[in-house]
Amino acid sequence: MPTRLRASNLPSTVFPCSSIRPQSIPQPARISREFSQSSCRQITQRRRKFYEWMNGPGRMLKDPLPHSTNYLGAYDKFGNLIRGTFQPKDAKDATPKAEAAEGVEGVEAKPDTSSEGQESADDLDAAVSRSEREEMQKKEDGTEEGRLVPETLEDLRPFPLNRYFRSQPVLSEELREAIYQFVKRDGHSLQLASTTFGVSNERIGAVVRLKQMEKEWIAKGKILAIPYAKAVLDMLPTTPHVKERGKRAITHEPINDLIVHPATRQQLFVPVAESRHFTRVDAGKAFDNNLLPADERIPHPELIAAEKDNIDGYSVSERQRRAQERLEAEMAEKNKKKEEKRQAELASTKTVPQRRWDFVFQDVSVDSVGRNGRDPKGVGWRYGLPHQDRKKGQVKIPTKVEA
Amino acid sequence: MVLKIRLARFGKKHTPFYNIVVAHARTSPTSRPLEVLGTYNPIPQPPRPGDTHGRPWKDIKLDISRARYWVGVGAQPSDTAWRLLSMVGILEPQYRISQIQNKVVKADSAAKSIIPPTQTRTPTAKQEGTNKA
Repeated sequence: MPTRLRASNLPSTVFPCSSIRPQSIPQPARISREFSQSSCRQITQRRRKFYEWMNGPGRMLKDPLPHSTNYLGAYDKFGNLIRGTFQPKDAKDATPKAEAAEGVEGVEAKPDTSSEGQESADDLDAAVSRSEREEMQKKEDGTEEGRLVPETLEDLRPFPLNRYFRSQPVLSEELREAIYQFVKRDGHSLQLASTTFGVSNERIGAVVRLKQMEKEWIAKGKILAIPYAKAVLDMLPTTPHVKERGKRAITHEPINDLIVHPATRQQLFVPVAESRHFTRVDAGKAFDNNLLPADERIPHPELIAAEKDNIDGYSVSERQRRAQERLEAEMAEKNKKKEEKRQAELASTKTVPQRRWDFVFQDVSVDSVGRNGRDPKGVGWRYGLPHQDRKKGQVKIPTKVEA
Repeated sequence: MVLKIRLARFGKKHTPFYNIVVAHARTSPTSRPLEVLGTYNPIPQPPRPGDTHGRPWKDIKLDISRARYWVGVGAQPSDTAWRLLSMVGILEPQYRISQIQNKVVKADSAAKSIIPPTQTRTPTAKQEGTNKA
């Protein structure tokens, strides 16, 4: 627990929330820091102003706010939490409860008074610490009233001068676990997980892979940096996991964005006869002969089929059945292709086990070097061509992981 | 001109990599060959994901039918090339460990049989003694 939350238990007027308190407390600027070895004793104006800000409006930014983000954009220039000033009605009702709780906690908190009483001689400071203490107590009681109001979009701006930058939420730990269980334990496809949880296909894949790795590490007994992960996740906005079965998940990000194909970057004017039936398929072909229509290039074409069924007036059970059929057909085709590829590879390779290692022979064709013998797909190291591996811009990061 | 099936070394320092080539016997090892039959990576690779035994493996790419053709028209594989080609059944293995071990054992026992044991010498000494007497 951060020391900031510990405080004296002097009886005084009670502030319902930490945000309303006055923040500009005059404190002597410290001359040097504990960790600094240099003797910078002179007090420049900049230094003084910095410490003034640190002890005044910037004081709240020193430590993270529990269960919330703590960005500069959430405070006004006097250091008050903006969203705290518009409290819901029940915030005032909560104060008597907190006072009652104070009596119980009073005995425990007395040692804190002796240690911290000297530095907080100021009455205002005492009031501040009191209100903070109450906040803490409310949390200890397990009541949700102690929690801050959830952040609005305005509060998620870490850089006040850049109004367009907003801190984006990350996946919460429960949501990631739920995704992993949905895919691994229940055996659903990644696409279905993506539509169910409102997370993009790529992110679902990454979550499953990383979770699997995490579990492998735990099984191996490796030490994980869990406190670090917890601390970081506490300071960031997160997408929570909706546990109720009937409810829809909170959408983490748009999942069905059309990827811009390089062929479609140019503007194109295609004269078409009015009588001609010009569809999206034709539009795709107008850009490039091999370009699929937008309906098939999006990450979730199955959603379009489902919507079509909806428009056609199928019942819910019928729609589900049809969607399931489509999914099964797609998976069957995918598996068939995979199996064929595996069989072809098995047929072309021959493994000869020897004393220490297996010699794996793969049958190739010498004709793959092409007519002039310089085809990059050809067998073997090529003659008369310099190495490119020290050249600028050569990417050496592996693009796939064998698992 | 004798045709050889041999290895041509490529790769950086400490990372050997060979092309399996068909070339004239008296050309330089680095020269352009008649044909590249395949590659041989002598560095053992870590076990493959699906491998239940978890054995390391060596990666060899080879156009087997083409290699068979070149052997058929009289190309002479080097010792290493012979070893590789014999693994896919193009040639009879040149050396077999068991055969060599058998030979060693036979030679050993033959040598033992030739050299007379020390105990047999004592009766001969007696014989000599009898002769003298």
